[in-house]
Amino acid sequence: MQKTILFAKTYGILVVTVALFVLLALTTDGFFSERNMRNILDQQSGVLIAACFMTMAIIAGNFDISVGAVYVATPLVALLVENATGSIPLGILAGLGAGAVMGLINGFAVTRLKVNSFIATLATSFIFFGTGYLVSDRAIMRPESDGWRDLARSRIFELTSATWIAIAVVIFASILLTRTRFGRNVYATGANREAARLAGVATDRVQMITFVLLAGATALAGILGSSRAISAQPSDDFSFIFAVLTAVIVGGTSIAGGSGAIWRTVTAVFFLAFLSNGFNLHQIDPIWQRLIEGGVILIAVSIDAWSQRRSG
Amino acid sequence: MPTGDDILLTLSGVSKTFGGTVALEGIDLAVESGKVHAFVGENGAGKSTLGKLIVGVHGPSAGRMELDGTAVHFASPAQALDHGLVGISQELSLMPTRTVLDNIALGREVTRGPFVDARATRAAVQAVMDRYDMQVDLDARVGDIPVVEQQKVEILRALSRDARLIVFDEPTARLPSDQVAPLLALVRQLAAAGKAVIYVSHFLEEILEAADTVTILRNGRLIRTGPTAEETHESLVEGVTGSVLGEQYPDIAAPDPATPPVLSVRGLTRPGVFGDVSFDIRPGEVVGLAGLVGSGRSEIARAILGADPATGDVRFAGGAAGPTVAARLSAGMAMIPENRREQGLMIERPIAENVTLSHLKRFSGALGLDRRRERVEVTEHCAATGLKYASLDDPAGSLSGGNQQKILFTRAALGEPALLIADEPTRGVDVGAKRSIYDLIAGMAARGTAILLISSEIEEILGLSHRVVVVSRGRIAGELAGADLTESALMRAAFSGT
Repeated sequence: MQKTILFAKTYGILVVTVALFVLLALTTDGFFSERNMRNILDQQSGVLIAACFMTMAIIAGNFDISVGAVYVATPLVALLVENATGSIPLGILAGLGAGAVMGLINGFAVTRLKVNSFIATLATSFIFFGTGYLVSDRAIMRPESDGWRDLARSRIFELTSATWIAIAVVIFASILLTRTRFGRNVYATGANREAARLAGVATDRVQMITFVLLAGATALAGILGSSRAISAQPSDDFSFIFAVLTAVIVGGTSIAGGSGAIWRTVTAVFFLAFLSNGFNLHQIDPIWQRLIEGGVILIAVSIDAWSQRRSG
Repeated sequence: MPTGDDILLTLSGVSKTFGGTVALEGIDLAVESGKVHAFVGENGAGKSTLGKLIVGVHGPSAGRMELDGTAVHFASPAQALDHGLVGISQELSLMPTRTVLDNIALGREVTRGPFVDARATRAAVQAVMDRYDMQVDLDARVGDIPVVEQQKVEILRALSRDARLIVFDEPTARLPSDQVAPLLALVRQLAAAGKAVIYVSHFLEEILEAADTVTILRNGRLIRTGPTAEETHESLVEGVTGSVLGEQYPDIAAPDPATPPVLSVRGLTRPGVFGDVSFDIRPGEVVGLAGLVGSGRSEIARAILGADPATGDVRFAGGAAGPTVAARLSAGMAMIPENRREQGLMIERPIAENVTLSHLKRFSGALGLDRRRERVEVTEHCAATGLKYASLDDPAGSLSGGNQQKILFTRAALGEPALLIADEPTRGVDVGAKRSIYDLIAGMAARGTAILLISSEIEEILGLSHRVVVVSRGRIAGELAGADLTESALMRAAFSGT
């Protein structure tokens, strides 16, 4: 019994995702087709890229709400530079650089000004959303060169470049978190900051780096998004951060910090993607989709809470 | 087993298993009103489980419980509470941001219609305080008052619910040493008021001082129950561990006085906390840093490690100590912090990760962490420190207090430190583990590690140290060694500045 609970607790999200996949593959026409699978991978690439590093930031003990704003603002910065210089690499560099700076600002607010990360990044969200309006002059921006659209849409072995980039980022982030000293320090910082500090871990630097990596990865996701849409526009849209946070939490990474894993988040991204893809294929009204999705998330997190209680 | 009118609660043949593990087996016990009944045993002996069983936190797997001669079965703490049985646990269950009054009255507010009658509620609480002669400032915020006062609030809450039996589970584990006596007085007072008190602890001195009856538990079995007056420190240790302890403190050879010091502290100052602290430690020497709680001894230790800012000169291993904790650790310092759960361990992370936290650099290569080599070395060092575990992947929190402490010793030993700062190394560990921690300290000293030992237990300081630096109000009040090193001299110095 205890072994069963432990197994369910550890691999619950994986079991549920595989079950959903099998169910949809057996019952739903067009789900388990090459094209549909490719599409799902491509659509989820942005969320995957950001969610990996959101997982890392949460394990280190911090929230980052500003990811929604970084996702909106950084492609605008990238396109501004691309429009001015005509250079795609310079545009990408500017977008990623803007993301890194935004991460630094978040890290500074949390580690130096000692503001709670949720509140700090809520505040910086406004700054970053505002930056988006500033650099775009409140207008839709489009790339000058046709090459911009190839950033996300090139096909390599049947998969889009965005998919390949997401796969590379997932692997990179997983290795960073599980196989390196930095990864251990991330867990230690979130698990017990004072103990980590007394054991010689530079906890402020660790948190700072997780913020910069997260905002940088989000900028990458934003640039790929602008490539897919061949445009970018300023907004106050929080939907990206919702998608990212939902995946991390449904995956079972503890919001208390100190535990969690990237494979969990990745699995949850696909769980949520299969769910909404299944709805679409069954042509369920999007309004009902939302209601059901919310219910499923609630069930997922309550099962998690239940299993934690049982084992604790 | 005592028979008489005062018997409130009897247990017969009570057992408890968790999964496949037997926590308690065949416990027969009678608890009397008006007496303090202590449960003593090592960590894992089952004493806390027994206490929790009585107040309904756990249900027994077998056996029966009778209250006033009637069989009872509690499915929850709330049901036990309805019968007047209350548990006060290590972690207090108070609302720190609310007032004392709100906390005591919680759920028992006097109401008039839908509204709380604040005046009548206050009067009711005041009446309970008067009846038991236990006064607390009702308007203070619970989070602002000392832990012993918070415990008083919990006791008052229990009393205002007409408690007949109160179980204290390790109440002094989180208490500064100068607040232990007031708590024991409270416990006695409750018994004098006719309540049955169960006192779960592994502090033998407290039990000898406060308990009327003592029950010794070992490995889930009841060894014996009897009047405390018939027990001594030695007989309790023997009962708890099942073996006669030899000499309590190991012999540690003093280093040659001509050896140059490995650590020299000169004029170490942190304004408002401590000032002008200067002393030396030689390799292989054990120096006690003694003083009252709040005297600044732990803060001095943290400053030596570089964890808190301080001015002055710290020279270590032949050079100026580095600017950061990391630099000082890699130069050969190590520390066992004062509070292992809050400052030492990542309680939910695996044992192996806890051990290597300070030493990840040595397992890192171009391909990241060498987890196989990490595991091999952790296994070796755990064997050397006598750390017992089922799997290195188990969370640190699954181990007993003594073994948790050994995780920190293993972490320190892994770095082969030149200086070990051990702050309260035996706090909250049981008698058997205590001795093995002393042996670990002695072993490290014998290998040439300088030890700076901080402890609230004077016996421990006297038993292990070659020399003692006494701190009072952040200043060095004396340095004692040889024949001058006595308990009375130490206490005189500790109180000198106050």
